[in-house]
Amino acid sequence: MLLVVISLFSFLPVIFIFVFATAPGAAVQSLVGAIILTFAFTGLFASQSVYFNKQWFRFQDMLVASRVSPASYAVGLSVSGLVVALPGVLVALVLVLLSAPVPAIGVLVALATALLLWIGLVFVGFAIGATTKNARRANSIPQVLSIALGFLPPVYYPLSTLDRYPVAQAFAMLIPTTHAAQLAKYYFGLIDIPVWQVALGWAYLLGFTALMGLIASRRAHWVDP
Amino acid sequence: MEVVRVEDLGKTYPGGTKALEGVSFSIDKGQIFCLLGRNGAGKTTLLRILATQLKPTAGRAFVLGHDVLQDPKAIRPHIAVVPQEARPQMLLSPYDHILYFCMIRGQSRGTARERTRKVMDDLGLWEHRDKLASDLSGGLRQRLIIAMALVADPEVLFLDEPTIGLDPLGRRSVWHMLRELTRKGATILLTTHYLDEAEMLADDLLIVDKGRTAFHGTVEEAKGDTGVGMRVIVEHPAGNGTGPPEVLEPRSAEEILAIVERGLREKRKVTFKPASLEEAFIKIVGGSIEVEDT
Repeated sequence: MLLVVISLFSFLPVIFIFVFATAPGAAVQSLVGAIILTFAFTGLFASQSVYFNKQWFRFQDMLVASRVSPASYAVGLSVSGLVVALPGVLVALVLVLLSAPVPAIGVLVALATALLLWIGLVFVGFAIGATTKNARRANSIPQVLSIALGFLPPVYYPLSTLDRYPVAQAFAMLIPTTHAAQLAKYYFGLIDIPVWQVALGWAYLLGFTALMGLIASRRAHWVDP
Repeated sequence: MEVVRVEDLGKTYPGGTKALEGVSFSIDKGQIFCLLGRNGAGKTTLLRILATQLKPTAGRAFVLGHDVLQDPKAIRPHIAVVPQEARPQMLLSPYDHILYFCMIRGQSRGTARERTRKVMDDLGLWEHRDKLASDLSGGLRQRLIIAMALVADPEVLFLDEPTIGLDPLGRRSVWHMLRELTRKGATILLTTHYLDEAEMLADDLLIVDKGRTAFHGTVEEAKGDTGVGMRVIVEHPAGNGTGPPEVLEPRSAEEILAIVERGLREKRKVTFKPASLEEAFIKIVGGSIEVEDT
């Protein structure tokens, strides 16, 4: 319960942007970015749960020797992080909808992009958590990646801000959170992008998720080789 | 009835480290089987293979008649494990830990509550039920981990150094509980560095050294095979005579009688010291210690 309350407060910085931002639409875009990043980070930070449950608490070993299946363990471990973050997502979603009314289908498709990104990053989290050999790295690697995935690319701010820096924009297009944020903002009706960019965004996210799923399945083991 | 059977088992890790080679043994129902060896001897590797957590690279192993490699799903509902150096979640209470593990094991909430109460009572944890795990002593945390394994009422229990960090009374309560479990038909495989624990509990004993079987048999056979017999210490009583104590190893009843008669005649103090498993263990693995030191 305490964690749920804390997760609500974690949105305070974004709420400040929402109240004090002067550029029209910037605050709402940052809220959509916050929703995307909440999904992204809960996926990525599954790496810590994977590492600590296996190497520190040794709960994975206890659960292997039980009727728990690897699939239910993986789903439970990753969904638990998301569940704790959902109240915050809900607050952000309400604020976005109050500012820019969107049809239900738009909201659902926007959340689907966030969910697809989350699945891809859960796979990244499992791959990292399963290969990390010490607690220091288990804590620091997702922190560093969260900067590269969350705060540097155009997730909180619009991609058009990088129009004057084509190299930076090209780099940004290599990052999955950029595509998820672009698609979500598009489906919330906050930006207009050509159809080919929408298709590229979905193709990128699907390809990223499939590739990370493949890597995670090679790295993360229920029974050690 | 044979519960565990291991045939020529071997394990070489992907990096090339050979952890086990040609190990064979079996464990009967209701036995406590102790696995002894120095650090890195291969005990945990062997236990993890049998608990279906690690794949062997040679030989075969069966638990409850099922091959650990071919049919692990048939084994898992019937076993439980206390891993080495397992730790509870610091922000969760002991009660919640045990309750959740009951439910993970498929028990209904009502049954889980009853089972949690029973196991916590048995292990002296009930009075600590609502504390955070971070506020428990090391011994209580270890007892909690053991309790989480015991909720399953397993047919086969794998314990990797389960009494590490427990005080003498805590160790004895665990021993008592293990004996109770075997009386009910459970089979236990236990690794330990406490040789008094092995001596107290083991129905059968396997000493592994550098991944190979160094000894397999009972505690008494370990002492007998290594020639570690009873020791008799003959010394001058305090304030009466000088000289160092004599340490004798009689091989027969006649020799023992002769020593006692001499002690009475010379008015010396005679102390009988039974052979310990520790001495046998050191004799068995001692050779390799000397080789490593040179």
